[in-house]
Amino acid sequence: MDSSIVKLRGYKDGLHLIVNPKISLSEIELAIQELFAKMNQPITGTSIQIDLRAPTLNPEDSKHLETHLTETYNLVVNSVNIFEESAETPILAAPATHSIATDLAQGQNIDFDNAQVVRQTIRSGQTTRCLSGSVIIYGDVNPGGEVISAGDIVVLGALRGTAHAGANGRLSSVIVAMELVPLQLQIGTYVNRPPTGQKQRGYPEIARVGAEDIIIVEEFIKF
Amino acid sequence: MGKVIVITSGKGGVGKTTSTANIGTALALIGKTVAIIDADVGLRNLDVVMGLESRVVFTSMDVIDKRCELEKALVKDRRVEDLMLLAASQRNRKDDIKPEQMKDICERLKEEYEYVLVDSPAGIEQGFHNAAAGADEAIIITTPDVSAIRDADRIIGLLQNQGIDGINLILNRLSPTLVRKGNMISKNDVLDILNIDLLGIVPEDTGVIASTNRGVPLVHNEGSPGADAYMRIARRITGQNIPIPEMREDNFFSQIINWFSRKN
Ligand SMILES: Nc1ncnc2c1ncn2[C@@H]1O[C@H](COP(=O)(O)OP(=O)(O)OP(=O)(O)O)[C@@H](O)[C@H]1O
Ligand SMILES: [Mg+2]
Repeated sequence: MDSSIVKLRGYKDGLHLIVNPKISLSEIELAIQELFAKMNQPITGTSIQIDLRAPTLNPEDSKHLETHLTETYNLVVNSVNIFEESAETPILAAPATHSIATDLAQGQNIDFDNAQVVRQTIRSGQTTRCLSGSVIIYGDVNPGGEVISAGDIVVLGALRGTAHAGANGRLSSVIVAMELVPLQLQIGTYVNRPPTGQKQRGYPEIARVGAEDIIIVEEFIKF
Repeated sequence: MGKVIVITSGKGGVGKTTSTANIGTALALIGKTVAIIDADVGLRNLDVVMGLESRVVFTSMDVIDKRCELEKALVKDRRVEDLMLLAASQRNRKDDIKPEQMKDICERLKEEYEYVLVDSPAGIEQGFHNAAAGADEAIIITTPDVSAIRDADRIIGLLQNQGIDGINLILNRLSPTLVRKGNMISKNDVLDILNIDLLGIVPEDTGVIASTNRGVPLVHNEGSPGADAYMRIARRITGQNIPIPEMREDNFFSQIINWFSRKN
C-alpha cells in the first residue's frame, strides 16, 4: 500500500525519496515511517533528494516535509526536485494492444533459466532468435535490428531496435537494457511503441507487463 | 602484397564514387601505387568523375570473358603517376559477374598495386556482393541522415558476416552551419550507433560538383575543405596518425550559442 505513496530509490546521484503529492501530508509521513521501519539498515545521517510530481505539494507542505525528514530521521535533504507531468509520461508506457499473434511454435524444450549469449551488436536487418530460453546481448540492438526470445531479453548496451520477449506467450518475461530507446517492444502478445524522439535517460530500464495489461517501463534497480 | 578496400554504403548517392576517385588520387599523390575498380556495372561513372571516359576501351567484363588481358584493360590516369582505373561495362548487368570473378581480379591487382579500391554500387544485392568479394577491408560512406545511417549499419553487418574486420567510416557532407545550429545529426550520434572507427569527415563542399563536372578529382584543388579532408583520409589509410579536426559542433562557444538558441 505505502509503496504508492512513497518510494526510496538509489540513483546515480544518491538516494531519492519519491513522493506522491496527491496524498495528504499526514498520510505521507505515516508511509515514510512505515517505509523506514521496514528497512534493515539505519538511514540516519544519509543525504537524500525528494522527488515530487506536479501538481505538487504547496510550498508550505513541501517545507514541512523537508523539516520533518531532517528532524525526525536526521536526514540531509540535498534538494527537492519537481517533475512535470509531461516528463513522466514516457516512463509509464503507452497502452499495449492485443493485436499481434505469435506464429511461434509452442511446446518446445524451453528452459527460461538458460540464456543464449550473443557477443555482438545486432545491426539493422539482423535478427537474433532464441526460442529455447532467454537472451543476453553483449552489445547494442540498432534500429532495424530485432531480438526474439522465449524468455527474457537483457541488452548490455543500447536497445534501439525491436525486442520481443516471451515470444511463446510467457507474460512474466522482461526486457532490460542499459539504454532503452526502442522502436518497439513486445512481451507475449503485448506491444508497446514508445513515443518517437524519446531521449536516452542515462540509466538502465526494465519493461514488463503491468497489472493493467500494459507494458510498463521503469528504471531498473534490481529484479 | 597490396590491400583491397571496398568503398560502400548501402544507400545510393552518398558519395562512394566521389570518395573512391579522391582517395585513389590522393594515395597516388602521396606516392602510392593504386588501382581503382568501378564495380557499378551497368551504371559506370567512376571513369567520368576521373575524366577518363574517352580513354576506356576495355572493361572488367572483357577481362572476365577473356577478351583482353587485365593489364591492357587498365586505364592510366591523366594527371598522376601510378594510378590505374578498371572501368565497368555499361552493356552488362550486375549479375553477369560472379563474386569469384571479381575476387580473382582483385587478387591479381593487389600483387601489383599497394592499394586496390573498389567503388561499390548502392544496395545490398549481387552488385554489392561482387564489390565486396575480394575485399580485405572496407570503407563505409554515410551522410548524416537517418536512412543513410540505417543502411550503413545494415552493410556493416553484412561485411562482418563475410569476415571483414577493418571496417572504417567516412562521414560525408557534414555541414558545419547546420551542425552548429543543432539541425543535423552530429558525428557522435553517428558513431554511437555504427560503433566503428572514424576514418574522416568530409564537409559539404560545393567544389565537389564542380570537380565532378570537370572530370578532375577535388584533391587536385588544394586548399578546398573537401580536398584537405580527402588528403588527410589518404594519409590515415597509409598508417599516418593524423587527428580528425573537430567541426564546430564540439566547440565550447557554439555549444553555448546552441543552448541559448534552443531555449527560445
Ligand atoms: N562532400 C560533398 N559535398 C557536396 N556534394 C557532394 C559531396 N559528396 C558527394 N556529393 C555529390 O553527391 C552526388 C552523389 O555522389 P556520388 O556519385 O559520389 O555518390 P555515390 O554514392 O557513388 O552514388 P551511387 O549510389 O549512385 O553510385 C554527386 O552529385 C556529388 O557531387
Ligand atoms: Mg557511384
